[in-house]
Amino acid sequence: MTRKRFHGLKRVKFRATWNKYNLFNLSRLKAPRTDFMTYYQQKWSAKSITRAYHGEHIREGQWERMFTPLLNSVIPMDHRYLAEHDGSEQAAGRGSGLEKPLDLNKISFGKNQIPYMHMTYAPIERRLDTAIFRALFASSVRQARQFVIHGQVKVNGKKIPYPGYLLNPGDMFQVEPDRVLFATGAPKIKVKVQAETRLYERRISKQTNLVRSAALAKAAQRRKAKEAKELADDTIELVPKQRKPRVELGDPESRKLRQKELLKVIRQIEDKIGNKKIRRTAKRKQELRALLRRARATLIFIHKKPVEELEIEIKEIAQELLGFTENLEPSDKTSPKRLKSEEEMDQKQKSALEAAIARIRENPSDTTKPYATPWRPRPYMSAFAFIPRYLEVNHNICSAVYLRHPVARPGLAEVPTPFPAETQQLAFNWYLRRR
Amino acid sequence: MPPPLRCTASFPSTCAKTLCRAGQSRRSFSTTPQQDQRITRNRRQLFRWLGSQGQNFLNPLNGSTNYLGAYNNEGQLKRVVEASAEAERKRKKDAGKGNELAKDDAPEGAEEGGGFKGKIPPETTRDLTPFPLNRSFVSQPVLSDEFREEIWKRVMQDGKSVREVSAELAVEMSRVGAVVRLKEIEKEWEQNGRPLAKPYHEAVMSMLPKTPFDPDSKDKGKPHESINDLPVHRKTGTQIFHPTSESRHFTREDAAKVFDERLLPADLRVPHPELAEMHKDYKAGLSLEERQARQKERDEIAERKRQRASAKKAKQEAAVKKVDTGRVEFRFTEISVDDAGKDGRGFKGVGWRYGHPHMDRSRGTVKIPTSVE
Repeated sequence: MTRKRFHGLKRVKFRATWNKYNLFNLSRLKAPRTDFMTYYQQKWSAKSITRAYHGEHIREGQWERMFTPLLNSVIPMDHRYLAEHDGSEQAAGRGSGLEKPLDLNKISFGKNQIPYMHMTYAPIERRLDTAIFRALFASSVRQARQFVIHGQVKVNGKKIPYPGYLLNPGDMFQVEPDRVLFATGAPKIKVKVQAETRLYERRISKQTNLVRSAALAKAAQRRKAKEAKELADDTIELVPKQRKPRVELGDPESRKLRQKELLKVIRQIEDKIGNKKIRRTAKRKQELRALLRRARATLIFIHKKPVEELEIEIKEIAQELLGFTENLEPSDKTSPKRLKSEEEMDQKQKSALEAAIARIRENPSDTTKPYATPWRPRPYMSAFAFIPRYLEVNHNICSAVYLRHPVARPGLAEVPTPFPAETQQLAFNWYLRRR
Repeated sequence: MPPPLRCTASFPSTCAKTLCRAGQSRRSFSTTPQQDQRITRNRRQLFRWLGSQGQNFLNPLNGSTNYLGAYNNEGQLKRVVEASAEAERKRKKDAGKGNELAKDDAPEGAEEGGGFKGKIPPETTRDLTPFPLNRSFVSQPVLSDEFREEIWKRVMQDGKSVREVSAELAVEMSRVGAVVRLKEIEKEWEQNGRPLAKPYHEAVMSMLPKTPFDPDSKDKGKPHESINDLPVHRKTGTQIFHPTSESRHFTREDAAKVFDERLLPADLRVPHPELAEMHKDYKAGLSLEERQARQKERDEIAERKRQRASAKKAKQEAAVKKVDTGRVEFRFTEISVDDAGKDGRGFKGVGWRYGHPHMDRSRGTVKIPTSVE
């Protein structure tokens, strides 16, 4: 028997992950139609879809032991009310005509109800692996579980290899920052390219020899045409192919650092050009492209030019790039085309430039890392980025504190769940039986 | 059974061609399951969605949160659509009056069709729901960086108590403690030169709603969270019919007594009972000096209580005899044989007792620690 798909499109299960299939499924989630089902069927289906999201990696028996029908809730109190009234005003005047008759039209039903049913799966939120996922340190609960098992997670400074450890209020958990960056960062492009070539090769291997040779010939032709076009376009390659004896002017370490910075700047410019969301005038686009060309040209001569010259060049490029970010709306015709040297800049510009360079140093490109560098968030992360109130997270150090158990309050429940209250209630009733 | 899924978009597929390239298997008789994902209606819909509505979620929205609940079925931001409709209505109204000047000060909310210029209107609660079907779960704001720094400063530099800072800034006491604890570690890392995950931090903070810290604003803004949360006690869950005379002054204390003899009234069960006391003094018309004096008195009483508790704890700790061998610290406590009780089964009794098997070897017992010190 083949294994069931984790993120299926046909037999849909909603999962606690940041996957794009999951996002698509969530976008088309509709309230289930239960009018043709028996009560038992309703309960079964509700329990089935909710359990696929809440701790699907926990065995059913284990969850049944964790389940409790006692649901935590709080009522926010106003200290002014507590000071001014002692509670006797609630009963004052009853029976002597002071009591106002109940007006059903004025009562807003359901608005300030406590959504108790959303708290059905609250005990699962106490688990270490789930808490790591909720703190945005992992892209799925299963990944969080793997981090724990692999010993990358500490609770109160002690390594805890148990994903099922139930956090107590006040417990602090830390995840190895490199793992967090890997889990939440965009995947390495190299990996993607490899996968694509593999797919291509597989596809090729399926075709007959005749077709394959034809395809290869076609690809070669295309490549040649591209190269010819590039030569004609005098676009300069990103990495120089032939190695020439370099002129030793500065120490190679500083040059390498500059090269990294420049690569980062190039990447930023490319991102800008690639971002179609921002509307730019044709002129602005041309300017961006020119800047990119200039940066690439500088990259080629990184080992030839004197270091001071390189420094100035990088600074100028960074400055110009900064100018692009600052005024998005079309600038006037009088805007200075000539670049300012460092002496001409005012304090504000100088500090902005320094900040930009510091940012580049902070987020360098490093091929040894298992994620795309410079680090950027993985695709589709923003749709899942929320932190429930029972956690206090510091992302700088990839640590979080479990403050208290999740609670429900009028109108709000702290357990994140994609399902409506009716489904949760049915699931709750399923686990209530025999108890 | 999964819920019935209905197609959200009904326009024809645009990416069917690219998907069809995989082609048919040459061996139609093979029983091996095909590894390639076949093009089904669902997959076509997925890629169509990813290319249209799903594009909004690929990258974070600049300067705003980006949740499913904020978009309509066409993949447009609901608040932008509303703002543009509002602007349109306003313009029409002004045009009816013959007012030409009104064109300029219409908010640059949006154009038709979801494309917008300028600033996106601020989010409402609806836009902060990551799961559109669950309106009870809202992505609530987190503390901004400046706010955290301020909390740390007030506790560690100004030497204020956690309780005070919590009441001043409307942040839960446990959260204040956690913020300080995490900040301390962050500063230690910085001092030791251990790299922080700055880019990750900035990216996450840009995706979350935040509570800003601005002491200069007059209205002080919305409080971060309610600090006086009364936990609903289990004993108060039952409905009780308690007949009492009409003339009786029936207060919260009496109500608590009815629910349970030992249940404290709400005034004492909230995390900040001192706020109500201070407000009572204020209502009584006391002058500022008098109020401060009374508060000081109350603080002193609380301090004495705390000292007594810590002294008791220290005494208990001192009763334990400690022998430090360098590798481990042995701790000896006085144990009495009589602790096991008359029948020998009292829970205070220690050691192996005849007829009582050790449970730590039995099947199914969970060995995961229940707490970490």
